[in-house]
Amino acid sequence: MAELILQALYSGLLNGGVYALMAIGLALSFGTMRVINLAHGELVLLAAYMAYVVESRLDLSPLAAIPLAMAVACAGSALVYLLVARIRKNRELNSLMLSFAIGIIITNAVLLIWSGDIHSTGSVSLQEAVQLGSLYSMRSELYGFLASLVLVTLLWQWLAKSWYGRAVRAVSSQRDAAKLMGINPAKTELISFLVAGLLAGCAGVALYSSSVIQPSLGHALTVKAFIITVLAGVGSVPGVLAASVLLGITEALTVTLWSSAVQELAGMLLFLLVLFVLPNGLFGAARRRA
Amino acid sequence: MLSVTDLRAGYGAINILWDVSLRFPLGQLTAIIGPNGAGKTTLLRAIMGLIPVTLGDVTLDSYSLRGRNTWDMAGMGLALIPEGRMVFADMSVEDNLAMGAFPKPHRPALARNLERVFGLFPRLHERRRQLAGSLSGGEAQMLALGRGLMSEPRLLLIDEPSLGLAPVIVHEIFAILRGLKEQGVTIVLVEQNTHMALAVADSVYLMRSGRVLLNERAAAVDSQRLHDLYFAREG
Ligand SMILES: Nc1ncnc2c1ncn2[C@@H]1O[C@H](COP(=O)(O)OP(=O)(O)OP(=O)(O)O)[C@@H](O)[C@H]1O
Ligand SMILES: [Mg+2]
Repeated sequence: MAELILQALYSGLLNGGVYALMAIGLALSFGTMRVINLAHGELVLLAAYMAYVVESRLDLSPLAAIPLAMAVACAGSALVYLLVARIRKNRELNSLMLSFAIGIIITNAVLLIWSGDIHSTGSVSLQEAVQLGSLYSMRSELYGFLASLVLVTLLWQWLAKSWYGRAVRAVSSQRDAAKLMGINPAKTELISFLVAGLLAGCAGVALYSSSVIQPSLGHALTVKAFIITVLAGVGSVPGVLAASVLLGITEALTVTLWSSAVQELAGMLLFLLVLFVLPNGLFGAARRRA
Repeated sequence: MLSVTDLRAGYGAINILWDVSLRFPLGQLTAIIGPNGAGKTTLLRAIMGLIPVTLGDVTLDSYSLRGRNTWDMAGMGLALIPEGRMVFADMSVEDNLAMGAFPKPHRPALARNLERVFGLFPRLHERRRQLAGSLSGGEAQMLALGRGLMSEPRLLLIDEPSLGLAPVIVHEIFAILRGLKEQGVTIVLVEQNTHMALAVADSVYLMRSGRVLLNERAAAVDSQRLHDLYFAREG
């Protein structure tokens, strides 16, 4: 039993890395524009289908699809931005409707083009079991986790050190003051959506390489990214990482101890529980005091 | 010279400024005083393009600023230190200052200007790694002022720097304004603290209810008349 639980913790940890890639993108665009992109998970899924296409049509490793997946997710993310930016009245509410609709369009387009079948990678080397002590994972899960760590670290450094990364934070924090500093908020918002797209592209490839995809998955991914963003308390990269791992582990433990049928429910319960006890999210309040 | 001519501006359907005209000569410190709600902040926001102008014009050396983007103002040498400081609370003091040098042409001088600002405000140097949100009111005002100076503006607009601060810090800030003026910076100072404002200003405007009621050289101001205009009833 203890071994099973350890194994669940390990699998959850690895999954959490990929969740972080999705959630950070959502948090970024929410920070700059106060807009929740409800099509974000669908963009991740679209990127995952790019990996499927590259593998099944071109007979290449799914990893070769990374540039294409990033390009497609970036283009989608930029499109969401351009449409949302045109909303003049009631942007907070109307953008929810708009991005929700875009998500539905993507889901149905995926269904039309690739049918409702489930797909997963056929790559033997990616699916090979890798042993770490007494713990097992697929090679792709380990790769995905390590790649996530690298990307999350890069993003963290970008936000902390680069001119536009800091501009993203400045616009999130004080929009008018940022303008006075010479920062064009529209350009900064677009950049945050593009970066979100890049991360979504990588997340999609990681997803396809280590699990199964199907058209209705996009919506579930959006919900996961949203849960993580709220759990983390907007604005902290380590917070998002921790919340992602927490969600990953909760799901894995639920599957191990109970049933895979209630995996999504467990995430929701975690969400409600944390918000009930800590309304500012896991890291929201602590960060303010720091 | 920065000139405001027959400017009308407000917030959506609510008009606040009723065709105001003001002139801010180069190298001088011009104070704008007036009671709460007079439209002083609104005027500064309209000059910087943070709110749209409905009528009239703002010109810098006979070059119109009307309709320009706020984010292009820094490049033209204008800086506004906004009411309420508006520091980036979850960024460090040093990053806040760096953002003041965001426009590309200003980035090469970042290190020199950081040193200059730390020279003016040694307390900011001590706290450069601290989050701006954890600063005291006086320190936050220093940070807002320092951040505005990072772009080496030739025209500095400051909105109520003394608000809520202890007299010692207010004196410190006014001494720095005096020093900037000596270096040739043109300053527009919005202040509720009439005494302090008159002491540093070359000339003064009194605003009330979105209009200019008085414009005089600071030395010539009759304080009784100023007081009467300041506190007079509407109409
Ligand atoms: N965002 C806004 N929307 C609508 N009305 C506003 C807004 N901001 C300010 N006002 C109104 O505009 C008028 C002028 O306000 P403004 O802030 O310019 O005054 P002020 O002279 O700066 O006053 P204070 O000395 O209190 O800062 C006030 O009646 C205020 O209620
Ligand atoms: Mg004001």
